[in-house]
Amino acid sequence: MTARSNHTPSESDLIKGCIEGNPEMQRLLYERFSSKMYGVCLRYAENTEDANDVMQEGFIKVYKSLPKFRAEGSFEGWIRRIFVNTSIEHYRKKVKLYNVTEVQENTIEDAEVDALDSLATKDILNIVNELSPGYKQVFNMHVVEGYSHKEIADLLGITEGTSKSQLARAKGVLKKIIETRRSNSQ
Amino acid sequence: MESFKDKLYNYEAVPPQEAWSKISEQLQDEKVINLPNHKKSKTLYYFAIAAASLIIIFIGSFFFNSKQTNSNKNLSSTNKVISPEQMKDSIVLNRKILESIIHNPKEKQEIVSNDLKATNIPKKYITISGPEGQAVKISPKVATLIVSADHEFPPKPIWSKKIEKWKKIMLSSTVSTTSAGLADLIQLASANDKLE
Repeated sequence: MTARSNHTPSESDLIKGCIEGNPEMQRLLYERFSSKMYGVCLRYAENTEDANDVMQEGFIKVYKSLPKFRAEGSFEGWIRRIFVNTSIEHYRKKVKLYNVTEVQENTIEDAEVDALDSLATKDILNIVNELSPGYKQVFNMHVVEGYSHKEIADLLGITEGTSKSQLARAKGVLKKIIETRRSNSQ
Repeated sequence: MESFKDKLYNYEAVPPQEAWSKISEQLQDEKVINLPNHKKSKTLYYFAIAAASLIIIFIGSFFFNSKQTNSNKNLSSTNKVISPEQMKDSIVLNRKILESIIHNPKEKQEIVSNDLKATNIPKKYITISGPEGQAVKISPKVATLIVSADHEFPPKPIWSKKIEKWKKIMLSSTVSTTSAGLADLIQLASANDKLE
């Protein structure tokens, strides 16, 4: 037996152990994914307090939903989806998104937002956190997580047009923030 | 250089110290679902369904068999009970019944009541048992046809054919082989003719 097998159980062992209610396995699963999932929580939440609530709720959901995991995709991807959904549910409880009838096409060039690439992760996060909650949700879901506008519309309870509008506006706001930062630094 | 999308996607942060203790406390309170038990309960569920189905099939077949045995017993007891003397008496009685109906319709209510122990039977009809043991009402006219059906020159051959068909049905019936049955009446009547 290797040291790895003694101290770092495989993913399937972790899943099995958690399903059986083994507290040690539950702790190990938490340790393996907590940093990544807390990152997701912080990206979607309005503040740290909300992120902590989502973190707790998300992990409870993960443990409860483990028997349903079919290993059709990656385990981490499955957990991440639970956390994104939990973040959205949490957000929807607090904020009511209104449908915007006007569909503003994506007039902001991606290249202008891609200027964020040169920044450090914390700075990018700070800039994204300056977006209003509605814009931030759509931006995170579409640009970072890769959800389609249809999926976003279904999850947020809005129309596809509204999702597109929110994204276009989010990019517009980001562009302005980037320009302001640039002019301030010069 | 890593894109801002990847940077955000892979962003990690250390959660607060108390986060795990809160989660583990909640896990203990809620007792997270245990799959093996769930599997067991599912297995038990299917086993219970299978057992219930077997019990139903067993009980059903038991009742079916007992019913069939009883009807066979009744049938055999009916067959055994009728002795040659009783057969002759029965023939005479049935002949009397039929002839009374044919020739003296006024008396048929009394005959029906005495012989078939039936109540509330309309005056114009006599009730006999059908192929499945059900009550069948026949008029004196039909009774005439039944009696004459076995004769060499029946009044109407078409009626004779119909009665022959009915007779076959009645003979194949295991339920109604009593002297109140139509086929029995026909058989007894023709047997009586031969005896005479």
